[in-house]
Amino acid sequence: MSRNLKRNLIVALILVLGILSLVGCSNNNEEAKQEDSFEKLKEQGYITMGVDDTFAPMGFRDEKGEIVGFDIDLANEVSKRIGLDIKIQQIDWTMKETELNSGNIDVIWNGYSITDERKEKVAFSQPYLENRQVIVTLADTDINAKQDLAGKKVAAQNQSSAVEAMETEPELVAAFDGGEPVLFDTNNEAFMDLEAKRVDAVVADEVLAKYYIKQRGAERFKILEEDFGEEEYGIGFRKQDVKLLEAIDKALDDMKADGTYDEICQKWFAE
Amino acid sequence: MIDYIIRLMPSMLSGLQTTLEIFAITLIVSIPLGILVAIGRQSKIKPLVAVLQVYIWVMRGTPLLLQIVFIFFGLPIIGITFDRYPAALIAFILNYAAYFGEIFRGGIESIDKGQYDAAKVLGFTPAKTFKRIILPQMIKIVLPSIANEVITLVKDTALVYVVGLGELLRAGKIASNRDASLTPLVMVGVLYLVLTALLTVVFQKLEEKYAYYQ
Repeated sequence: MSRNLKRNLIVALILVLGILSLVGCSNNNEEAKQEDSFEKLKEQGYITMGVDDTFAPMGFRDEKGEIVGFDIDLANEVSKRIGLDIKIQQIDWTMKETELNSGNIDVIWNGYSITDERKEKVAFSQPYLENRQVIVTLADTDINAKQDLAGKKVAAQNQSSAVEAMETEPELVAAFDGGEPVLFDTNNEAFMDLEAKRVDAVVADEVLAKYYIKQRGAERFKILEEDFGEEEYGIGFRKQDVKLLEAIDKALDDMKADGTYDEICQKWFAE
Repeated sequence: MIDYIIRLMPSMLSGLQTTLEIFAITLIVSIPLGILVAIGRQSKIKPLVAVLQVYIWVMRGTPLLLQIVFIFFGLPIIGITFDRYPAALIAFILNYAAYFGEIFRGGIESIDKGQYDAAKVLGFTPAKTFKRIILPQMIKIVLPSIANEVITLVKDTALVYVVGLGELLRAGKIASNRDASLTPLVMVGVLYLVLTALLTVVFQKLEEKYAYYQ
């Protein structure tokens, strides 16, 4: 090794170490973020709501490109009641907690299921919608119960609560073909794979599965009676944002009491 | 079917607009930056060369997706905060400047050293030598490689979804989810192909223009 090359390598190494230590020492900034941001949000007049705009029917874009959906209607009503505008920010669903904790968004509100694992990262509002993790197959399969999934390929959306629900039954998951679920970026891709018969079943939120099935023709699919458990949708907040959480919880209470909530439900989920 | 495609068009075109913006700005900034990187790599200042080597190593050695995530989500930890759009642009520009830099370096190094001596004898300053003699020949040599990178860039723009920017592919996925249909994705594919076809023609014309020795 020539002397020049050696010296260059040393310089390079020092630079890399320098950058790493810069990143390392910087954690003291985080304390500033631990404050309740309600006053600041009130001052700016709006909160930012993180939405996966591919998630029909909870929050998605219509043909005009406007974000619509059950969660969007609900949020707009809440916005009127808490006196803060709501700005919608589309996000990549796998980055949602990072977006929240870095302050890019103030709430995760888009068919966000309440789970124990998520409770460690975010604070949840009261549950506002019930949901099940259903198992969907094509109509003509011999899969009729959960146990029939052994030896089959099962798909779900990456980072979704369906994956977490399945993990509560590790033996069953280990018995899947491949020993784990096949994960896709979106539920739509999981369902397309089901239609292509490369996977035998999809586990997904009931609300979403029903929407998809309705679009593609209900007679081609079946939803098994057994499921991977019930769960509820909640709104995710930064843990320190207690005041905002309380304000929105109260608005939801009022909406449930005066029938506004039922109206919005009717609009999106009427059978 | 035709009706459906026409109804999809507005959202696709708005996605296409973001794709084109990211594409154009990245190109316009990263090509000159790439030339600077290539010149810097030839420099006699050793620390500068070392820094550039590390820069190229990092940019080519990690996925672009990771770089975007790092600039948008990682840098705020050390107090540097960018909006979504600038963060994505910075990642793209830094990444592509590294690749362009290496392509240009290859171009510069392929030019015979005797030409520098000749230019010196003729009384050209180093700057003038580069601009008048080296650069025109280099462009000619690197055009095919640049065309390759530029076409890759068109498709790489899809990565900005990770910071929540809506581009062409995202617009297709949204429509595909909403309507449970593959048609929007086929449309997206066609639009990318049209873009690539246009670029291919542009680069063919450029190559013809620079083929003055044949």
